[in-house]
Amino acid sequence: MKGKRWLAASVLCGVFAVAGCGGSDDDEGTAAKSGGKISGTVTTWIMDPGSPKLQEVFNGYAKDFEAKHAGTDVKIEFVPWAQAHDKFTTAIAGGKVPDVAEMGTTWTPEFADQGAFEAVPAAGAGDYVSSLIDAATLDDEVWGKPWYAGARALIYRKDVLKKAGVEPPKTWDELKTAAATIKQKGGGIYPIAYTGLTEHYYLPTIWQAGGEIATKDGDSWKAALNSPEAVQAIDFYTSFYKKGYTPKAAIGWEEPDAQEAFINGDIAMLVAGGWTYNSIIQTKPELESKIGTVLEPAGPSGKDTAFAGGSHLVVFKESENTETANAFVDFMLEPANLNKFTSEIGFLPGTVAGIEESGYLEDPVRKPFAEQLLEHSAVYPPSPRWGALEGANIFDGVIQNVMKGKETPQQAAQSLAEKMDEEFAG
Amino acid sequence: MSHGAAAYPSRREAGGPALAGVGRAVARLTLPVLLLLPALIIIVGLVGYPLAKTIWLSFTETRLGDLVDGSGEWIGLENYKEVFADEHLRTSLINTVAFGTACVIGTMVFGFGVALLLNQRLRGNWLFSLAVLLPWAVPALAASAIWRWLFDDRYGFVNWALVNIGFSSFQDYAWFADRESAYVAIFVTVVWQSFPFVALGLLAGLQTLPQETLHAASVDGASAWQRFRLVTLPLLRPIVAVLVVFSTIWDFKIFDQIYVMAQGVPDRAADTAAVTAYRESFALGHYGAGAAVAVVLFAILLVFSILYVRMIGREGRA
Repeated sequence: MKGKRWLAASVLCGVFAVAGCGGSDDDEGTAAKSGGKISGTVTTWIMDPGSPKLQEVFNGYAKDFEAKHAGTDVKIEFVPWAQAHDKFTTAIAGGKVPDVAEMGTTWTPEFADQGAFEAVPAAGAGDYVSSLIDAATLDDEVWGKPWYAGARALIYRKDVLKKAGVEPPKTWDELKTAAATIKQKGGGIYPIAYTGLTEHYYLPTIWQAGGEIATKDGDSWKAALNSPEAVQAIDFYTSFYKKGYTPKAAIGWEEPDAQEAFINGDIAMLVAGGWTYNSIIQTKPELESKIGTVLEPAGPSGKDTAFAGGSHLVVFKESENTETANAFVDFMLEPANLNKFTSEIGFLPGTVAGIEESGYLEDPVRKPFAEQLLEHSAVYPPSPRWGALEGANIFDGVIQNVMKGKETPQQAAQSLAEKMDEEFAG
Repeated sequence: MSHGAAAYPSRREAGGPALAGVGRAVARLTLPVLLLLPALIIIVGLVGYPLAKTIWLSFTETRLGDLVDGSGEWIGLENYKEVFADEHLRTSLINTVAFGTACVIGTMVFGFGVALLLNQRLRGNWLFSLAVLLPWAVPALAASAIWRWLFDDRYGFVNWALVNIGFSSFQDYAWFADRESAYVAIFVTVVWQSFPFVALGLLAGLQTLPQETLHAASVDGASAWQRFRLVTLPLLRPIVAVLVVFSTIWDFKIFDQIYVMAQGVPDRAADTAAVTAYRESFALGHYGAGAAVAVVLFAILLVFSILYVRMIGREGRA
């Protein structure tokens, strides 16, 4: 029984072995085939990276593409992550979709299930990171091309930890002790930002405890949250708020709020991906020398699993210009263009070769981000219902109630399992 | 009698051949109907159709896919049962009525106070009248974001000010970590945004009051409070009633302020019906249940509006 809970975890482990070195041949082929016919307007929704420099990279893609193909007009629109799911939903419901969009990997099956996307013809098995292909697969068809991926590790303020006399935590117990010490000796700085509205912080603690979020049940999925491991994880996560190791306001924080608090020097430790790290040191360069990185702390099971997130590029079925849209997607996926962006944003490209070329493995501060993704990460159940679960934030309210002491971790685990099964059942 | 007698023959003349009468009636109606038609089409298209569609949706089980091809399944009153059985949906309706009422009262009281002040013949009052309008001119979304920042736990002005005047317990006070304190912050925002309209409406009313009546009352020895309660208020009642109707409709369907400021309140306990209807539909994909919440909100507003309109009607006859 306990062994089975681990079946779906660490999906990314080893999948890179089958990934080849980039889809350049395929991409150029497609573009060349339809070379003469590429024209017209392509509206593209990109998740707002939050930094002007990155927005420049995307706008640069548009300019370069327009220069390469006369008669094309690429419109890049930035959509904040927090509103994106709602926005896609309303766009699909209203029939006012963009031509191309960046899609969070957990949303691709959901919207594909609604028939929103063009299928990706013959996604080469060796071209992309296969777990990201898995995340884009529904009914044996692939609905989005993997763009980039990343996993969160733990970043910390070296100066604050040194002042408090604690080592970077490697386990849950060490994290608890470190938090208590920083609270005492940190000079008013909060030890960690475990917020109420960031499921990518708390859901992986269930894996770390040795539990599962959901298990495959025939064609459907079944919640696995009603387990002692999940209860232990919820108890662990919420205890930091209850003990005052996290600011009181953090119960209503989303990830960017926690990031801002870290930049302002209010927080000593933060669960953060390479993209967050990049954004932090771009906003406040003087922090660069003060930040250290370690893998996420390991739970009682010994696992230090984080969520492997990323994005697909999709072409909408209702686009009136799918040919040019596909050409623009392939253009963005050309290795040179891809690297321009992933190195800047702090994500990893979708290929092993790309990761090796990125230089992440040689940089001591960035290496844990790559390691976390390659060897210590898992993905959420690729069910069409998962996007709705995320969109509805069924987890946040319950976690907040436990933080407030209105519910016990047991009650929380049980009610979450029920809500999840309700959603899986449709 | 003489009036009736004069009217009778003329009607008689016209009524002879019934068909001609109908024809003339149609002719008489054609022009007004034609003139009204463009407006009617727009109203039916922009209000009537969405309303009818929402009511229809509220009786169906509709997911995003069903919405696209219009194939929701008819499930009768199930959605309405859920609205009243589900704790979160029910709470959002109670929140709407309770918080909306509080906002209406707050807006009216504050608006009245400002109107009475502006009605004093003070120098430079025209400047204040202008200044009072400003909050009303700020878009609700922008105002909500600004006030959310003012109420920020660590960097907000409100906590800074409160700590500096001696309330040290407001150091890092998290306004949005509890429903009650979040409502205090949102209440301030809503009243700040909606009092200008009320204040200026009442000011206009105050300036039309017959000075003789007020003067006579003070000659009779009525105190300022008595003059306000027994003369000013009854004379302003029709305007107050209209303003209360407007405020009720605005404050009950309040969306922006709640959407921006209450999103982090644990378990979304401070959500109002409008936000819940939106989230239930577009975040959860339960379009039927979302529509049911919207229809219940619509019914509540309809009841309040009818009550007020009847009250105003009675005032008019009296």
